[in-house]
Amino acid sequence: MAKRTRSRWRDLPTAVWMLTPSLVILSVFVLYPLGQAIWLGHQRCDSQGDNCRSNGWDQYVDVARSDEFLHALGVTVKFVVLTVPIGLALGVGLAMLADKYLRGIGVFRAVFSSTVATSVAVASLMWLFLLQPDVGVLANVGFIEELFPVVKQPGLVRDPGTALGAVAASSIWANLGFTFILVTAGLQGIPRDLHEAAVVDGAGGVRRFWDVTLPLLGPTLLFVMIALTSRAFQAYGEMDLLTDGGPRPQDSTTTLTYLTYGGDSVINNNDGLQAATAVLLFAVLLVVSIVQLGAIGRRIHYA
Amino acid sequence: MSRGVGVGVLGVLGVVVAACGSGQSILQAGNEPLPTVATTTTVAGPPVTAAPGETLAPTVPPTVATTTTTPLDTLAPCPVDALDDASGPVEITFWHGLGAQLETVLTDLTQQYNRSQDRVRVRLENQGGYNQTIDKYVQSRQESRPELVMFPEYMVQQIADTESVIPVGACVQASGFDTSAFLPRTLLAYQTNGVQWSMPFNVSVPVLYFNRKAFVAAGVDVDDPPLSIEDVRSYSQAIVDSGAAGVGMAFDSGVDSGGGWFIEQWFAKAGELYADNGNGRLAPATRVLYDGAVGVELMTRVQSMITDGIAVTVGDNASGQDALLKLADQQSPAAMTIATSAALGTIISALDGGLIPGLTSADVGVGPMPGPGGTPSALVGGASLYVVADKGDAEAAAAWDYIQFLVGAETQATWAAGTGYVPVRQDALELEPLASTYRDDPRFKVAYDQLTAAADDLAAVGPVIGPLREVRGVTAGAVAAIFDGADVASSLAGAAAQSNALIADYNARN
Amino acid sequence: MPGDGTTTYDTPIGWRAVGRYGLLVLVAALVLFPVYTTVVAALKEGNQVLNNPLVPDGFTLRILAKAWDEGNLGRYLLNSGVVAVVITAAQLLTSVLSAYAFAILDFPGRTIMFGVFLATLLVPLEATLVVNRRTVDSLGWINSYQGLTVPFLATAFGTFLLRQVFLTLPRDLRDAAAIDGVGHLGFLRHVAVPLVRPTLGAMAMLSFLSAWNQYLWPNLVTTESDMYTVQSGLKQISEARLDEPNLVMAGTIIAAIPIVVVLLIFQRSLIRGLTSGAVKG
Repeated sequence: MAKRTRSRWRDLPTAVWMLTPSLVILSVFVLYPLGQAIWLGHQRCDSQGDNCRSNGWDQYVDVARSDEFLHALGVTVKFVVLTVPIGLALGVGLAMLADKYLRGIGVFRAVFSSTVATSVAVASLMWLFLLQPDVGVLANVGFIEELFPVVKQPGLVRDPGTALGAVAASSIWANLGFTFILVTAGLQGIPRDLHEAAVVDGAGGVRRFWDVTLPLLGPTLLFVMIALTSRAFQAYGEMDLLTDGGPRPQDSTTTLTYLTYGGDSVINNNDGLQAATAVLLFAVLLVVSIVQLGAIGRRIHYA
Repeated sequence: MSRGVGVGVLGVLGVVVAACGSGQSILQAGNEPLPTVATTTTVAGPPVTAAPGETLAPTVPPTVATTTTTPLDTLAPCPVDALDDASGPVEITFWHGLGAQLETVLTDLTQQYNRSQDRVRVRLENQGGYNQTIDKYVQSRQESRPELVMFPEYMVQQIADTESVIPVGACVQASGFDTSAFLPRTLLAYQTNGVQWSMPFNVSVPVLYFNRKAFVAAGVDVDDPPLSIEDVRSYSQAIVDSGAAGVGMAFDSGVDSGGGWFIEQWFAKAGELYADNGNGRLAPATRVLYDGAVGVELMTRVQSMITDGIAVTVGDNASGQDALLKLADQQSPAAMTIATSAALGTIISALDGGLIPGLTSADVGVGPMPGPGGTPSALVGGASLYVVADKGDAEAAAAWDYIQFLVGAETQATWAAGTGYVPVRQDALELEPLASTYRDDPRFKVAYDQLTAAADDLAAVGPVIGPLREVRGVTAGAVAAIFDGADVASSLAGAAAQSNALIADYNARN
Repeated sequence: MPGDGTTTYDTPIGWRAVGRYGLLVLVAALVLFPVYTTVVAALKEGNQVLNNPLVPDGFTLRILAKAWDEGNLGRYLLNSGVVAVVITAAQLLTSVLSAYAFAILDFPGRTIMFGVFLATLLVPLEATLVVNRRTVDSLGWINSYQGLTVPFLATAFGTFLLRQVFLTLPRDLRDAAAIDGVGHLGFLRHVAVPLVRPTLGAMAMLSFLSAWNQYLWPNLVTTESDMYTVQSGLKQISEARLDEPNLVMAGTIIAAIPIVVVLLIFQRSLIRGLTSGAVKG
């Protein structure tokens, strides 16, 4: 016992210098700002972020109950519900489609993975050019415009009914490559003889998918779902570039991140309220993570 | 440990979910409930009242040292001579938010300035738009700010409150710069309490754009476009009745157009104050006044045109030109709309390029912005130049030197002709290339004439409000609802209450 | 991108193969549609953009060249490259060190410290931005590589990932090395790091991608064109040049090309990286 204690202390200097770089960065740029943000969230500051004064901790409660916050929370949840299941289904569909030995299948796999190379700015600008009602592609293709006048008047990103869907479409597309790669890797991990056994049992393609493929893909799908959900909760660039949180006055695409950081947000340059919404966003994400970790249960092997 | 986290999380979750909306704005968070009618007790010092017709002090020609409320000598001084002591060229950075053609002309002018002398080097930094410029500026410490910055017209009060700029009035005074040739209103727009905060540079005003062919087909006088709201109604009726166009007028509810800025314009044209305390120019504004009888009557008239089908709304004008594009609509075009004068150059070049089949640039008519009162006049829009304080004496002097170049008669003649902005001074009109622009195409001069048309009293110069950008956003929401058929009085009252909350919150913070 | 020749449970012939190819081509066309329209626009002259946006019309590199010249894109790409490489290299280094400390070393407070590390994983970037911007500003790091990189030089995710691999090292191996007089640094360099090399490659790819794709942060800490990254530069171009959509599209393509090349070269690492976080069932 004494020996063990001595050895623990002996490693300490080495541990200290090895941990110091990470610890300094994480303390200064993650832990400290989080603490500061929590503190700032009960304050009000002038428009330059100076002269902050306490406004009472009930500011958090009031922010959480305010019209704007609840609206943004609703939009965020809608965005998650739109993007995650559809993104997941499309990714699985593409992966199934490409999961065949065919001449040239590598080309198709490369195509399906390709959107992983687009950043949020690149993907959003490509979609802006597709959807923009004045100079956009869809609005200037005669038959599309006739079939769906909404692409021109007022435009998919400008119509309160379609704006969130349009942003979601752009986001789903941008994440498709990521989903495809993961699901394909998951499919390749499924032992081939399981499928053959199912074929021998007379199971058709559809039954094989539901009874063999999907259950074995479970862990992969769970992981992809968690990743997509967290991305969707934190999505910002799409709204910033495609809609600026609009159209107004409905604020159809003002998500929690846009409410917090968007240039056209009503609390723009209002540091105390921004901090409060940011901390509440953190709380929401924490809840989501814990629910998801609970769903995974013991599948992750910590330590 | 995990149980503790779980309980904490559940607590937060409880706050978020179980709270069931307070029905309050986020801006009220943590505050005591506001009294239903904003009182003037929130303002330091006695409230200043001014009748709408009262003349703004100082009157034309504007000088800066005539007021007692904010003595200029308590503000940062302008060391205009410091450039003489500088050893080498002084480099300054200028943040602006101009894109496209506007940026090209500004870049050309700046290169010309840099080449013309060896004492100052100006570096342009485009921040990607007005709002981006504002955000980056207010978020930065003074050390990270540029020496010179361009802000749009709605920022006067907020920038004054940052106490981070040298009022250009101080520079005007210290250098004896002659402003007698300036259009008085361009200077007055950027004054509060007699302090000239910034120098007008790119000035635009709303004008009426109309399709001359539709006017001819409807049998209305193309050379006498509508000036009052009643005229707009009768012209629209004639246009619809004759089938000359699908609808008469296209309105939009954009923040910096039909939903916000134009409402301020209409109040000015009606000779009514938009905000208290002399439109916020005698003391900081504490509330907006647009929910009164004048506003209700005005918006009711506009709304009735839309509900009667002789006018149409194009929504929140996200592209900045939605209303103009409605004039070129294939299915049901409008014959008229109101848009900024700064768009005229773009419209003409786009139509000459054949962008819209069947519509040439000659078909575009331009008239003064119609509105209550039925006389041509307009508020100054666009942006102005602010000298940032604490950047060093030589830097401030350099910024002032560059400003004098930018607002010089020759520069303004080139600038206005190249962009469609209104020159800030009369003598620019006599100089080329602006002289021939105005002579060859009188449509460009309509905007200029509006600025010289009306008296320069407190109502006519327009509001300064701390959170004017956000107030416009709230107002635009109400305007959109009214255009869509909502009750006028209650919509305006709701927006005014929310605006007043914004103002109270702002005044309490700043 | 995942490799060929894996699941081969039926060999389609005849119409089934034709049908599947047809479907593959159709779906591929749909996926590539936004890219296609972007390329078509970038290769057109400005005044042709609105006419038949689906059909290529002429072929000009003029707009791409103009976007390169006017957009300062070379500078943005350089900045993004520097930022991404610095962040990636630093994250590998700091993560290897801290992962080693947590996996191999035994010291008082290890569990608590590791808990603190894991807790930082839960903090989203959004919750720290306002304060971090102030910190960077007060350090005088606005418009600098320090401002763009320093907040991201360490990552709990990398620490966690590498620690998992280090834990598989047999305890005896370290003890034997210690008896031979090999210090921790030597053991780390000669035994531990070679062991985690594939994981390092995967992590490098992930770090590089996320550093390259950062959007909010570079917008907050840069005000000068010379310090914009590709993402903040694109935002700036798109806002200032809406009058020339094909110029914006050309800029978009130029911004995307380098990362496509990097991904093609390192696709194995990328796939391993993306799947490394995945749950092992």
